[in-house]
Amino acid sequence: MKWRIIKYSENDASTNMAIDEAVSESVAAGGPPTIRFYGWKPSAVSIGYFQSIEKEVDLEKCSDMGVGVVRRRTGGGAVYHDNEGEVTYSIIGREELFPKDIIASYKLICGWICESLSLLDISSQFKPINDIIVGGKKISGNAQTRRGGVLLQHGTVLCDVNVDKMFSVLKVPDEKVKDKMIKTVKERVTSVKQQRYATKHDVYTALMRGFTHEKEFYVDSLTPEEIKRAMELAETRYGSREWNHMR
Amino acid sequence: MPNGKLVCFSVKAHDGRVTRVEITGDFFLHPEDTIFKVEEYLTGIPADIRENEVASMVREALGDAQLIGATPEDFARIFKRAVSR
Repeated sequence: MKWRIIKYSENDASTNMAIDEAVSESVAAGGPPTIRFYGWKPSAVSIGYFQSIEKEVDLEKCSDMGVGVVRRRTGGGAVYHDNEGEVTYSIIGREELFPKDIIASYKLICGWICESLSLLDISSQFKPINDIIVGGKKISGNAQTRRGGVLLQHGTVLCDVNVDKMFSVLKVPDEKVKDKMIKTVKERVTSVKQQRYATKHDVYTALMRGFTHEKEFYVDSLTPEEIKRAMELAETRYGSREWNHMR
Repeated sequence: MPNGKLVCFSVKAHDGRVTRVEITGDFFLHPEDTIFKVEEYLTGIPADIRENEVASMVREALGDAQLIGATPEDFARIFKRAVSR
């Protein structure tokens, strides 16, 4: 079994989520398991499937700053995806390729990320449910869904982090404790840049090596059908108010 | 939740009956759409229902679905708190 690798590309928020879904559909229909790398242009906030968009995101601020907003089909929390500050990946394959147990499958895929980070001389650990930590601080967040016999896991590795910028677009439950919360997050989150001198491109190269290690793979593009379907989903689902304001 | 996950219930009741339930948060549930079933199960029940009965109903609605980062008991506790507000 050979993995298909889709090289890094940058897209807007709804297109990114639509590509992940279009690829999931093609995998369900018999297509190859796929590893995809991507970035967010413009920077964007993604919220978890069960989150309330109004409670989590300062929509007015996002609009003023040109920051995109999208609801993911995966659970988990709100993430600010800075264009410069992170590399995102998705792993899409039939469920049989992964452990049945959800935490075990997170552990397997997050292990590939830990392996990638070790290539940058960064020692990291998987922290259940869905995080990777370095010295007790989060460096990567991940989220998974399984539908139609297909497992999709996407996640980000923080290359550089600007917590103040993050909280300018994310809402906090209580405005009165916002400063304290920002301070706590600064203490609990790290980035590759805080650990080693490495560029975003270095992180991408390490992820490419770590994810493909001991796998048979080939580098390819999305098929015209996948692109067509992704454009359709970007418009009808991930770009729609009905989807994004579902909760 | 102790694991850092957040669960929030928005509940409306009228004449002693629950008329609307919306569950939000950063937990995981596979398959995700099961959340609609949980909300549906809890809609129409008496507002003064006991917490352990709510937990049973959540468990029944979940069936084989996997809730990660929270338990049916957490859902029941938070539901009760939301109803009594």
